[in-house]
Amino acid sequence: MKKLIAMLLALTLVLSLCACGTSGGKTQGDAPKDKVYNVCNLVNGNLGDKSFFDSAEAGLKQLKDAGRITYKTIEMGGLDSDQPKWLSTLYEVSDSKEYDLIVCGTYQMPEYLDEVAAKYPDQHYLIYDSEATQPNVVNINYKQNDMGYLVGVFAACMTTDTSLKNINEDAVLGFVGGMDSPVINDFLYGFITGAQSVNPDVKVDTRYTNDYVNTAGAKEYGLSMINDNKCDIIWGVAGNAGNGAAEAALETGKAWYIGVDSDQELTFSEDLAAITLTSGLKNIGQSLVWFFDELDAGKEHWGENILLGIAEGGVGIVTDKNYNTYASEETQRKVGDAMKAIMKGEITVPTAIGEETGALEALRDSVRP
Amino acid sequence: MGNFLSMLFTTDFFYSIFRISAPVLFATLGAVVVEKAGFANIGLEGMMMVSALFGSLSAYWSGSWLVGVLAAVLVGIFMGLFMGFFAFKLRTDVILTGIAVNMIGGGGTLFLVNVITNLTEGSAMASTTSLITQKLQIPTVEIPLLKSVPVLGPIFSGHSVLTYLAFFMVFCTWFMLYKTPLGLNIRSVGENPNAAASVGVSVSGIRYIAIAFSGAMAGFGGAFMSMYYSMGWSQDMVAGRGFIALAAQAMGNGEPLGSMLSALLFGFAQALGVKVSAVGVDSNLVSPIPYVVTILGLVVFALLARKRHRKKLVVK
Repeated sequence: MKKLIAMLLALTLVLSLCACGTSGGKTQGDAPKDKVYNVCNLVNGNLGDKSFFDSAEAGLKQLKDAGRITYKTIEMGGLDSDQPKWLSTLYEVSDSKEYDLIVCGTYQMPEYLDEVAAKYPDQHYLIYDSEATQPNVVNINYKQNDMGYLVGVFAACMTTDTSLKNINEDAVLGFVGGMDSPVINDFLYGFITGAQSVNPDVKVDTRYTNDYVNTAGAKEYGLSMINDNKCDIIWGVAGNAGNGAAEAALETGKAWYIGVDSDQELTFSEDLAAITLTSGLKNIGQSLVWFFDELDAGKEHWGENILLGIAEGGVGIVTDKNYNTYASEETQRKVGDAMKAIMKGEITVPTAIGEETGALEALRDSVRP
Repeated sequence: MGNFLSMLFTTDFFYSIFRISAPVLFATLGAVVVEKAGFANIGLEGMMMVSALFGSLSAYWSGSWLVGVLAAVLVGIFMGLFMGFFAFKLRTDVILTGIAVNMIGGGGTLFLVNVITNLTEGSAMASTTSLITQKLQIPTVEIPLLKSVPVLGPIFSGHSVLTYLAFFMVFCTWFMLYKTPLGLNIRSVGENPNAAASVGVSVSGIRYIAIAFSGAMAGFGGAFMSMYYSMGWSQDMVAGRGFIALAAQAMGNGEPLGSMLSALLFGFAQALGVKVSAVGVDSNLVSPIPYVVTILGLVVFALLARKRHRKKLVVK
């Protein structure tokens, strides 16, 4: 009974919001297109992480420089002891009613955001790389499979380019995943299909560390891939543990590493950065720009869970530094072509999320070296 | 299957057993000595975490791996004495104190790394991976003559300094426990503290020495983790090795040699797990292999011990 009431309440809330949304849209249609939004960017950590927070900041700065928004960034600190501050800051900025949009992100925030967003139904929120449940929050997530496809195309081109040091003639790639779970496998699905689009006979050695912290364990897997199966490029998608694969590549001097989520060449020590060919990227900043493009075009996404792929600039691959130095022109062209093909919709990358037919498992086994 | 066996009988498989066992072995020796002194150090895991952090930071600041290792050991000893202060002086439960140390190892290190280095958590968890370069890693040693012997050379030569030290420490610990007055005191305090006290042995002094020794061993283990096995400290990187050490100590019946064999068994099991994953066995079946082997080992050990016990009864 309680559930029924709760659901009815939720329904009325959503309906009333829809009503708000449409009327809001109308007034916005009349209002000048170049409305300047006031944005609050809440960072549950500190800027300077060379990762998600810096990316979000860069995106907002780009919007500000274009005169489309004004914004204020609040660094709340990333420690456990700072967590109470996250909630109080969320309350504070929501209560001030100064902001058209409050932006936050990462897996640590949805719980707090849900609590606050429910109490301020008129305030709009955006959360990136995570998912809240309130109707006044837009959730932005990233298509790991699109990213995986690009990385796969790139890696498959590189693994037979024996003019490069550490590369052997066998077309064997490695993938160190955190868990045998849909999200991690989404990276893998794209990776394998991308690699196969370049070379149908490519082999991919997939291992899972079963946690995200055991760097030494991931290193053992990396060493086994390199020594037993002649992997010469390993993509690590296992949080901090993934770095163990980079260490294995460095120690053996027989392989390269590819990073994930943010540009790992920037966060590694010089030794590890030197053997990191590129990184699959989640472009938090670009996704914010995309969001304001949509908003200006009159498309509102409140309450939706949006998946951004290559077409929206949500994901990509690092193309400067080592990529630029080591990738041949042909490789760079193939990566560019793949990107264009996905944008045009000529290629649809399969996803592991909601995939229950066992197609991925079959594919994974068929490409095992 | 043939593919799997050919992977198994390689020199790098046997080489990896020693590499995997070494950090566990250090912690196991720490567990052995405190157990001989009559209590248990549950906090090995946390001690390793904290030493791993300060080891890698000191190596970075000083530009020398040796300073890093020494700092890790000193921090380990300090943590041991700190635990001892609470457990022996303030009479807190030693198990609970150990749990507290483990919590410091998990959350406290993250706090410290943030305060000290200002590295931020961001999308990934904080780590000192960006600070440790190959120059700061604990070097490996090639043993002359042995390295040119086929098969044995690639297995036993070329390990890190600390790997050799770990196995050398097994002998040292045995010698200390059974051939020195200190060892006798440690064992007598463990067997019967009142009797030891009655002949003038400082019970709390011996306990402090035991837990400081265990801290030093955890320090070596931590340094091994963050300065050789991985490059730099990252959160929870010790990943249960301190607890495995407690199991290895129990399985080895609390003796240095037996515990070393148990640590090697764990190393073997983990190395086996890595090779098993290479042939495409489900990762959820692969990752428990070290733990399953540990439990099986304990069962076999308990059965053997019972048999021996029965035989003794029959003889009597």
